[in-house]
Amino acid sequence: MPRSKDLDTIAPDDLIVVDSVPEPKKPTPVKKTVVVKKTVPVIEEPVVASDNILAQKIYDIFGHTKSPFSAALVFPKVFSFAEQNDGEVVLLALRSHWFTNTSWILMAIFMFTVPSLVPLIPIPGLDGGLRILLSFTWYLITFAYSFEKFISWYFDVSIVTNRRVVDIDFNNLLDKKFSEAELSKIQDISSRVSGVSQTFLNYGTVLIQTAAEQNVIVFEKVPFPGKITKLLQDLRFSESEKDKDGGQE
Amino acid sequence: MIENLSFYFYLFKKISLLLGAGVYLVFALIVVKQTFTMSKNINDKFNYILIAFSYIHLAFSFLLILLTLILV
Repeated sequence: MPRSKDLDTIAPDDLIVVDSVPEPKKPTPVKKTVVVKKTVPVIEEPVVASDNILAQKIYDIFGHTKSPFSAALVFPKVFSFAEQNDGEVVLLALRSHWFTNTSWILMAIFMFTVPSLVPLIPIPGLDGGLRILLSFTWYLITFAYSFEKFISWYFDVSIVTNRRVVDIDFNNLLDKKFSEAELSKIQDISSRVSGVSQTFLNYGTVLIQTAAEQNVIVFEKVPFPGKITKLLQDLRFSESEKDKDGGQE
Repeated sequence: MIENLSFYFYLFKKISLLLGAGVYLVFALIVVKQTFTMSKNINDKFNYILIAFSYIHLAFSFLLILLTLILV
């Protein structure tokens, strides 16, 4: 029985028993081929092996993300931001709690029902064509209002990476604010939950005091403020430990 | 005289509505541009759907101009 090569490396003195000796191959004519070197793109793993403990810790704190529209995305697979550096891993992407959207959703529903109420009110000079046009315009404005509110929520993101905390705010369609601070520059983390809805639904504001130029970074109305505070404290601690280890070496 | 006045009123109404629809079209273009910019800044799963919605909105704002020309 032929032995595997692994065993040969363990016991090289043993003879290799081969059942049949393969015939020598006929020399094949050598063809001139143009060798094109292909550069294979290196796909970076979202979490490197050394970060596994950290990943497990984050999963322990937050659990796994169940919905893609969740306000807290833990290790999102399809998520990146323009200012993201090479090798920087997004640990947590946070949006405002879903409950913060209820006011504009209710407003949109009300706006949507208005054209059906208008025929009850007699308006002189509002003939068929103009009525259709106004209804169409109204629905368009309602859609634009809802869409603008939704994208303001969707793109207003607070991010925790393995290197820093980032806050991206789109206050309206034409105003973008980007603030960031390295984890090692975090000085103090505090959270605030106030009001009935925030207390019941467990969302609030996380304030991050930093030694960076932007000295306060605010994660507004994010879910699980306590858990976020704990995670940031852990990350800050591990960063300071790394710095200490680096200093000793 | 009254006929002229009513014609001028109709003209004024039509031009005003067309101007309004034009302004709305500019707004729709800004929404498309801004959705693109936001999508470039933050890449997430549903960006393409949002961009598609912004284009649908733009198409409807073109339709608004057409409707203004036809219905008024």
